Amino acid sequence: MLPAECSRRLVTELRGALDACAERQQQLDQSLRGCRRLLRAWEPTGPPAPASTPGPETKKEDQPPACAPSPQDVKELELLTQALAKAVRVRKGVSRAGQGHKAPNLKPRTSATRASTPSQAPGQPGSRTSKTKPRQSIHQPKVPAKDHPEVKLLPGGQRTTQGTGVGASGPSIGDSQVAPEAFTLKEKGTLLRLPAVFQRAVSKNSGLWTQICSTETSSSASAAARARFLRKMRAASGLSSGSGLSAAEVEAEVEQLWHACSLLKLCMRNELAAAPTHWLQEYRRLLMLEGLQAMVGQCLHRLQELQEVVAEEQLESRPSGMPRKASLPCGGEGAPKSPQPLLYSSTQELQALTALRLRIAMLRQQLHLQKVLIAELLPLASVPGPYHLALCRAAYSLLCEGSQRFPAVLRDQPAD
Amino acid sequence: MGRRRWRQQRGDCRVGVRAEALPEAIAALSRTLPTGPSPEIFRRAKFDLPEAVPALWQLLFHVLSQVPEDCATTSLTPEAQVRWVKSTLRSQGYPRPALALLPEDGTQGSRELLLALSWLLARGPLLERVLTCTRVRLGDEMSVCECVDLARGRASLDQPTACKDSNSCLDVRHVQWLMGKLRFQWRNLISSHQEHCALLSKIHQYTRGCHSDRNLCHLSVAEVELLSDPEVGKQLLQRLECENARLEAALDWCRLEPVFWKWTDTVLDASPPGPPDTGSQPTFLPRISDQGTRGLELLAWELQALQEQLGAAVEARRTAWAVQVLAREPEWRAAMQTTEEAVERELEVLRQTWEQGADLTQLHGLHRLVRSETGALPGWGLHVTEAVGALRSKEACLEAALGWLQEQCRQELTRLVGALPELLWIPPHGHWEP
Repeated sequence: MLPAECSRRLVTELRGALDACAERQQQLDQSLRGCRRLLRAWEPTGPPAPASTPGPETKKEDQPPACAPSPQDVKELELLTQALAKAVRVRKGVSRAGQGHKAPNLKPRTSATRASTPSQAPGQPGSRTSKTKPRQSIHQPKVPAKDHPEVKLLPGGQRTTQGTGVGASGPSIGDSQVAPEAFTLKEKGTLLRLPAVFQRAVSKNSGLWTQICSTETSSSASAAARARFLRKMRAASGLSSGSGLSAAEVEAEVEQLWHACSLLKLCMRNELAAAPTHWLQEYRRLLMLEGLQAMVGQCLHRLQELQEVVAEEQLESRPSGMPRKASLPCGGEGAPKSPQPLLYSSTQELQALTALRLRIAMLRQQLHLQKVLIAELLPLASVPGPYHLALCRAAYSLLCEGSQRFPAVLRDQPAD
Repeated sequence: MGRRRWRQQRGDCRVGVRAEALPEAIAALSRTLPTGPSPEIFRRAKFDLPEAVPALWQLLFHVLSQVPEDCATTSLTPEAQVRWVKSTLRSQGYPRPALALLPEDGTQGSRELLLALSWLLARGPLLERVLTCTRVRLGDEMSVCECVDLARGRASLDQPTACKDSNSCLDVRHVQWLMGKLRFQWRNLISSHQEHCALLSKIHQYTRGCHSDRNLCHLSVAEVELLSDPEVGKQLLQRLECENARLEAALDWCRLEPVFWKWTDTVLDASPPGPPDTGSQPTFLPRISDQGTRGLELLAWELQALQEQLGAAVEARRTAWAVQVLAREPEWRAAMQTTEEAVERELEVLRQTWEQGADLTQLHGLHRLVRSETGALPGWGLHVTEAVGALRSKEACLEAALGWLQEQCRQELTRLVGALPELLWIPPHGHWEP
């Protein structure tokens, strides 16, 4: 059994790590669901793009917003579409005469108007009719098909031109096809256009960000006023003694020293691993090692100063149930930046980067937990007790093997 | 009435700038701040009126925690928020002791709170940070350096449940179980991320040429969502317009800021000076957690070990070199000097790497993912391959650090177990350590 204090600390740390992971997983699952939905069939709303040919439009602008169709519905509709296509082929062979005359009044609302988007949202009045009517149309000599668009499309096209004016500011798709396929990004994604209102807002936004970024650094009058206020406040509070370092600053410096330490160590390893062949290389290596030694000395010196600061100040743990300290966002103290582009050319590249990012995040967490475990478990392992051996074995696995492997312990009783 | 008071205060500030600038400056500030406090709050706080207190505590909590407004308030009581704000300000080095003495019920001290807010504004890029944090994200964004995710994780609230079962002693096997669970979660996370990348890449590929910005070329998930659901589109547009209004307010603030600082000077003059004796306020000393001190010891241990290793390596080489160089010193002189200078430069770069985080400067911040088969315009954006290169070295650093700590533990534990009689300790990997 671990002492209560140690148990508390370890469990809090590990729970924190687990929660961070779980939170991240939750966010990721949410965006995964979003992406999957977008890659399935859905119905783009809004009028056609101004750029695209306004020809035989088949969309209704005033229809209610589409929800995502359920996978079940999509599947059924796919089957239905296949059946219809087959019917067209059969019909074409059987009855060639007279089909063009019947078509326009047979299917003006359903197949033709919905032709580009047969995957309707379930539970929506429009979708019910479109689901049932195509079935009727199988019995008709004419079914929605690409073969005769010019005949069927007239009514639908007329209706659309009326509707276009209503929702002209909405999002749009420049779709001019009439095929009875579901809209999928894969097939027709390139026809999407962003609405003009949105584009205007975005360009205004990026303009404002650029302005903000440029003004931040330029106003020296404000900087002087700020500095004066800070000085005045410090003087008024009478708090002049002490190191002048806040706890946050000490933490930041320690973090920096950890970084320095790992860099120096890496550098040393590289130097020692190289095999110099020339005397000049040998000399370079010697100088590098000496330089590193001096730097480590400086780090140690700074650390001692920080330790003194910490020792002078009174220790205080964070009260439980409180938010942890909000750390600075990445990028530090600089002016705000709008996001820079990160270019990739293939899925594999993106996956490789993501895997590496996660690996680093995981290593960071492991390193942190390792330090916690060292601080808690090593002292316990050095005190003999009833469960000493079991504890040592567990500690060895946790501390030295990333808790993936265990050492074996054999009782070696001397033969009598 | 408010207007009349504002006019009176114009006399207070006696500045060369336009007389109506102060209300304007404060209005711009309150429109920029996350909870959008009424400008009236500032005026009340100057006169230390109690009505302004709750709004100011809440505002301080939001700007310090950067937790979204809705979820933070529900999980913490106002008293807990007050305590948290006090302790955070203390750890950041806030100089006025009077703040710590304010009651937690939020009944008084609005002037002190106004001063604390002013201190945060004066000291750091507070507004910039707030604006960056709440920015509407249109693109598919990714942080290369992982600082952002880490920060987000840290800023989350501690679950009180984590501390509830804490009074009992636990078996070490429970710790092992938790570690296993953690590994399992990471594995899940990795595979989900891989899928996410594949889906993003598809969406980008399928919407090629759709974006009005030629550089970006394709749409992002948010943009496609906007097209797929008018309701989402409407919300996004609304948020974007809100942000534009806030950015405009921030620009106004930048212009009018000096007037505000003149005014806060008068607020500071109006508040009673703090007691000069610092020794009597132990609550106001910087807060270093217990964990922090242990971290310092561990770091010292690591640095000392590194220095010993380096010392040994240098000593052996220095002697060998001295023998070698003795004979040929004059002819080697010039070459040696060039090497010395080169090494100095190299070491200086190394120092900058950790002092300014120069290795990852370009990687910091969020990036918008752009799929481009043709390759980028020169000087525009960062390519994934560059980012991978930089991250590899970081990975190597971390691996080395972890490996070193594990090795130290191995030696220590082997030593401890070696002292036990009649035991054979067989570590994994099959190598024997009698």
